[in-house]
Amino acid sequence: MADAPMDPGEYAIQELGPEIRSIEDVDALRAILEAEEAGENRAGAKTIIESRIEKFTEDEESTGEIDPSEMTAAEVGNALQDVDDPEELERIRAAEEEGKNRDSVLTLVDNRLDSVRGSDAEAAEVVPPEEKHPDLDHPTADKRHVRALEEGTYADMWVYCETQAGDLIDVSLEMLGKARELMDDYNETYDADEKVVAVLVGDGVATHAETCIEHGADVVVHHEDPRLDRFRHEPYTRVFCDMARWGGDPGAGNPDPAAWRDYDEPRYVLFPATPNGRDLSAQVQAELDSGLASDCSGLYIENAVISNPAKTGGEDREFERVLHMKRPDFSGFEYSTILCLDNPSREFHPQGASVIPGSFEVPDPEPEREGEVVEHEFELDEEWFRVEVEAFDRLEGGVDLTGHEVIVALGRGIGDDPTRGMELGLELVDAFEDAALGISRGIVTSSYEFEGHVEEYAAEERQIGETGQEVEPDLYVAAGISGAIQHKVGMDESDTIVAVNTDPEADVRDFSDYFIEGDLFEVLPRLVEALEAGKLDAAAVADGGETG
Amino acid sequence: MTERERYEAVVVGAGPGGAAAAAALARNGVETLVLERGVETGSKNVSGGLLYAEASAPYAIDDLFPEFREAAAERPVTDYYLHNLAGDRVKTFDITDLHEHDTEWSDAVLRRKMDSWLAERVHELTRETGGGLLTGVRVNGLLREDGEIVGVTCDELDPIEADFVVAADGVNSELARDAGLMDWEEPEEWFQGVKAVVDMPEGAVDDRFDLDDGEGEAHLFSGDLFEGVRGGGFLYTNEDTLSIGTVFHLDSLVAEEAEPHELLDALLTHPLLARWLDDGYEELEYAAKLVPDSKKVAHPSPHRGRLALVGDAAGQMQAQGPIIKGMNHAVTAGALAAEAFVEARSRSDPDAAGALYERKLREEGVMEKLRPRRYRAVRTLAEHDPVTDVLDAVLDSPVGRFGVRALGDDLERLYGSPFLSMMVPDTRTPYVTLPTVIAEELGDPVETKNGVTPPDLADRIGSLTYDVDVGNPHIELVDDAVGASGDAVTACPVSARDFGGGCYREETVRTNGEERRVVSLDTQPCVECGTCAVVADTDWEHPRGGKGVEFRQG
Repeated sequence: MADAPMDPGEYAIQELGPEIRSIEDVDALRAILEAEEAGENRAGAKTIIESRIEKFTEDEESTGEIDPSEMTAAEVGNALQDVDDPEELERIRAAEEEGKNRDSVLTLVDNRLDSVRGSDAEAAEVVPPEEKHPDLDHPTADKRHVRALEEGTYADMWVYCETQAGDLIDVSLEMLGKARELMDDYNETYDADEKVVAVLVGDGVATHAETCIEHGADVVVHHEDPRLDRFRHEPYTRVFCDMARWGGDPGAGNPDPAAWRDYDEPRYVLFPATPNGRDLSAQVQAELDSGLASDCSGLYIENAVISNPAKTGGEDREFERVLHMKRPDFSGFEYSTILCLDNPSREFHPQGASVIPGSFEVPDPEPEREGEVVEHEFELDEEWFRVEVEAFDRLEGGVDLTGHEVIVALGRGIGDDPTRGMELGLELVDAFEDAALGISRGIVTSSYEFEGHVEEYAAEERQIGETGQEVEPDLYVAAGISGAIQHKVGMDESDTIVAVNTDPEADVRDFSDYFIEGDLFEVLPRLVEALEAGKLDAAAVADGGETG
Repeated sequence: MTERERYEAVVVGAGPGGAAAAAALARNGVETLVLERGVETGSKNVSGGLLYAEASAPYAIDDLFPEFREAAAERPVTDYYLHNLAGDRVKTFDITDLHEHDTEWSDAVLRRKMDSWLAERVHELTRETGGGLLTGVRVNGLLREDGEIVGVTCDELDPIEADFVVAADGVNSELARDAGLMDWEEPEEWFQGVKAVVDMPEGAVDDRFDLDDGEGEAHLFSGDLFEGVRGGGFLYTNEDTLSIGTVFHLDSLVAEEAEPHELLDALLTHPLLARWLDDGYEELEYAAKLVPDSKKVAHPSPHRGRLALVGDAAGQMQAQGPIIKGMNHAVTAGALAAEAFVEARSRSDPDAAGALYERKLREEGVMEKLRPRRYRAVRTLAEHDPVTDVLDAVLDSPVGRFGVRALGDDLERLYGSPFLSMMVPDTRTPYVTLPTVIAEELGDPVETKNGVTPPDLADRIGSLTYDVDVGNPHIELVDDAVGASGDAVTACPVSARDFGGGCYREETVRTNGEERRVVSLDTQPCVECGTCAVVADTDWEHPRGGKGVEFRQG
């Protein structure tokens, strides 16, 4: 026993507290307590000293080892919160088992162990919900669905290239361009050699294979069948999924051997967020037991460090090669980035997205690109066609002014006699082999009253310019168009531009190759005449007029 | 019924009035949501460009946003001149004294920069209260339940409920019209301003105006250069640009069938301007705006139910003689509206906010500035045409001209009187006749040649940025007869006679041998000024959030 560092008898009770505040040594405090007991033995004084002894005794205990046998379950629970060494927790668990072996305490220790270790794959035991909660109703228990692969192998980015009425739609090419860019980066970052795979399903769609390759595909897989001429929910899904598995068994991943692929299922898949593409994407991804980020407008691939209770047991873990799928929320006020990550007990592949048309640029075609075209063979069950499409209607697609050799465009110069002006424009169109009629926005928004036979040509679908179509024909004839910047951006890539205008100061003159100062009502008939006389050269026509 | 999104206060529009209201609400812990239709705050906002802080006002913008002047403003106005023009003769008055009357400070501003800076502060403040600022959202009307205003409806979001709605949605306020508080009927109640922001070479503003650090100038122009249209021109110095514009009474613009862009050009190419502009004239932005004349339209009771109007939405734009003050009143009104709501809420009677706001406007002297009693007294006499004609005739006569000569420099003092300037009648006498006579009798000719070539209207429209809402025009022409809507062809700042690239065009339609003159409309070049809502027969709305014109300077 240490000597008391002070004599409590020399202090009044109220003085004692402050005096012993500097003493932390329990033995010294005990000596003071004994001195008090031996001396004045004041109850108040003893309480002060005892509480100080208690304070420091507790401190010592809490840093010591936990002995569950002397603690209630609640006390063990509290004490465990400070322990994060799994070995120490194992020791406590063993001590409890040897001692009182209380279930409640063992559960507490196990829970703490789980949270300290994280739910390692080996530790996590997957129990189907039906077994885990037998007391609950399981209305989906009888449903059969294909389970995700276990330890599957995945590679490549697949792009579903949609066709409509036999034509490849733009978003298909936009996705191929983006996929090419993503996989080029991917192959460099991960030192890999994975491909962009274009998927074509329909009737007579294989003719688009070359276009797909020119726009970025390494491989084109196609399936043709006359019964697939229009999008049909079930057969399209069956075909796509069988392509993805390549003859493998659902959920098992034993694909038929193929020279062009050595994996169970695609790593990534992209669908267009069109009505048909949305339909197909949802069903395919459900069938492959993965997830889908719908209506995305941005994509990139990188590693991601994630901490999540379900995916990583709450610990930071790095996932590699994650497709980051950005999608607009709340009408585009916010963006979410969706990640499709494997669970410890379940694989989420392919990582899939549907892509909003127009989100990416159509890439420039590279005619020299080479690729492999693979035909998919698969028996289609007549049962999948049991829904019969009795009638369908194709909405007016509008007028496509692109792809013509010549565009004759009319502006407000026809205002003096709009119907006659339109007729003259159409006559000039007819004089060329492959020409179409375009109009300026000034006509679309005018109050001109056209006679019935030319009225259809004054509609917005023929508007050229910033808010209309952009054209770049070999020859562009701008008749009675002043050439506002909004019009110019729709046509100034044309090879040769011939302008007809009464106003020699009109802006159009600045970006015309030939400028004919004159009234279109006189000039257009002369152009028609010249063309019919065989002078097809626009330059020759221009030379004949008053040129500038 | 489904649960609606709900905030204590919703502020519509994030200009200075909305920003002031939102900041004051948020600082008092009111959960405040601010909705702004521009793609970024400031992208829809245009002003002449002078912001005042008045000594007598309870709030100035830097009271609410302390770093405002350093961060968001251009140059202060340290000298103010009024130029009377007649041909190439100029008589200049220094009206700095009038400018400095009741002025703590006054800075030139460009609204894109200013409002986007304010918006960041407002977002920070309001977010703390559980609200925030959303851009790209157009509020299209009031949400009502059993006839009572309970919130707002939007193009982009579901209806939102609020205990207090601040309509700071500008001169063309759709909320003020929905509530029946304002209308777009009478051209006499409006001014129309157009403005060019002019790029200046580095150092040129300092050199050509002979300015040091912390100095800037304002110039006003009146006289015979505007084809007899009542109004005038202005020039303000920004950091590296100039704001040059013209402001006219809309009724006079319509009556003279004047083209606003040509009147602006008349100013830009006047010999006097050659002092500051050279052949390398480069216009960064052409913009236009309708300006309410508070003397006539400032609403004396700008509230209804839970709705309070502030700033231009309530017509709170004061033309104090030649000096125009709008933004400062919007700031004061916004903060007073916020104060009123906070007080009403603390008395557990939030519905009393409107009446309290009205009382504050009156007690703080705002309403007297906006609708001065002196003007009301003069107006009855002076704005009759016969009186104007007599005054003009006298002024123009040898007697009148003698008077002008005799007064000489005393005229400068008279022009500098804040009391006189508050009672200037809206006739051509003070705007046109008097300045012209002054310049003719007292002015000296300007010798300099002006080499400025302003861009034509097509190029001005072409250099603006638009996000066109294709297939969804925001203005509909109700009556296309020239008699009903023809005034818009000239009065619209982006339309002109014989110009096919503007909003309004006059056309001849022949049907069954009959010929009719009609007006057609293309909303693509629209700068959303609202002129046609007043002078033509239209259904006028703002474009949807983020759509339409986007001003880069403002």
